[in-house]
Amino acid sequence: MNYDELVTLTTDVGCLLLANGAEIYRVEESMLRIFRAYGVYTGEVFAIPTCINVTVVTPQGKPITLIRRLPTRSTDLDKVEKGNDLCRRICRDKPDFKTIRRELEEIKHRPVYSLGFQILAFAMVSFSFTLFYGGDFSDAICSMFCGAAIKIVCYNMNKFDTNAFIVNIIASFAAGLIAMTAAYINMSLNPDKIIIGALMNLVPGIAITSFMRDMIDGDLMAGIIRFMESLLVATAIAIGAGFALTATRAVLGV
Amino acid sequence: MKEFLPCVWAFLACVPFGAVMNLHGKNLYLCSLGGAIGWFFYILSSPINNDILQYFIATVVISIYAEIMARILKIPVTGLLLVALLPMVPGGGIYYTMEYCVIGNDAMFIETGLHTLGIAGALAMGILFVSSFVRLLGKIYNDKSKF
Repeated sequence: MNYDELVTLTTDVGCLLLANGAEIYRVEESMLRIFRAYGVYTGEVFAIPTCINVTVVTPQGKPITLIRRLPTRSTDLDKVEKGNDLCRRICRDKPDFKTIRRELEEIKHRPVYSLGFQILAFAMVSFSFTLFYGGDFSDAICSMFCGAAIKIVCYNMNKFDTNAFIVNIIASFAAGLIAMTAAYINMSLNPDKIIIGALMNLVPGIAITSFMRDMIDGDLMAGIIRFMESLLVATAIAIGAGFALTATRAVLGV
Repeated sequence: MKEFLPCVWAFLACVPFGAVMNLHGKNLYLCSLGGAIGWFFYILSSPINNDILQYFIATVVISIYAEIMARILKIPVTGLLLVALLPMVPGGGIYYTMEYCVIGNDAMFIETGLHTLGIAGALAMGILFVSSFVRLLGKIYNDKSKF
């Protein structure tokens, strides 16, 4: 059997899961199961949210190691689900490597929603959360524009590989600026409800949820990384909105 | 009835949020329903008069819902939790903490900040509580369907 190919392929499956927001536990367990399905019981996998390390020892006693860094991560639950299915199928049917490679490519190219739809979705999230936090309908309508602005800023900033901290600061600054300007023009609006509704798009819910689950699974390193991530996101949101509030208060006197 | 209206908004907020994460069809709506159920229990437990405890109860309910639904729909628990827990995340707390910081009200800044941390802690504890319990049950009944 071609062990080099096995390691590369398994790491690709692991990367697919990790890069789309699966838990560390799932990534490591899936990879080990694939190794076992092909009769390799000497596989060791160590994954943290930014990196996967794999080593297997061939029957001749030669170790094969692969390290894969993951510069960007996103959340695509559809791909996680399909990747998971693929793992189960691999373990059950043990298909040849070409078939796995082809299916992997298929999952990677599964459709995502268009930018226009995502902007609309962000606007709807803002709209609903403004009402959820006690704003009225005119606040919610205004919040839609803030939500859309957040997505547009994030999309354009990510094109330049900017780090997430700055992206969050600028996105939340943009949302704050729009809300405060709207409140300046129409005094009856509640800028706080508008901004909170819009910022729910950026809030680190994902990090809080997965950090606790990683911790329980014993992946302390991954848990700490995700915890720091959630702190950074929360700080960035606060800094961005804080700038917007201070600036508009100084200039417009809202 | 009016006090339960936020449950509807929670549901309506979770649907587009789940859609951005590429959930589809039945899964999307059932995940979002978790958010509404959580907030329903938050309001239901309001006689306790301690919102950190209320957040904890709501999170426990959502986590139990997520564990059950994950087994029925055969999708990862994390996906369900990500969407359903969104209304619980203290976005308002983060904002008001920042606002008190900006206007220079230090006492309220510390108080709101700690309260927000407390809510985040309650969420984390709720998830921890349920997942650990489910793991334990799984070990006892040797449940192989952890995936």
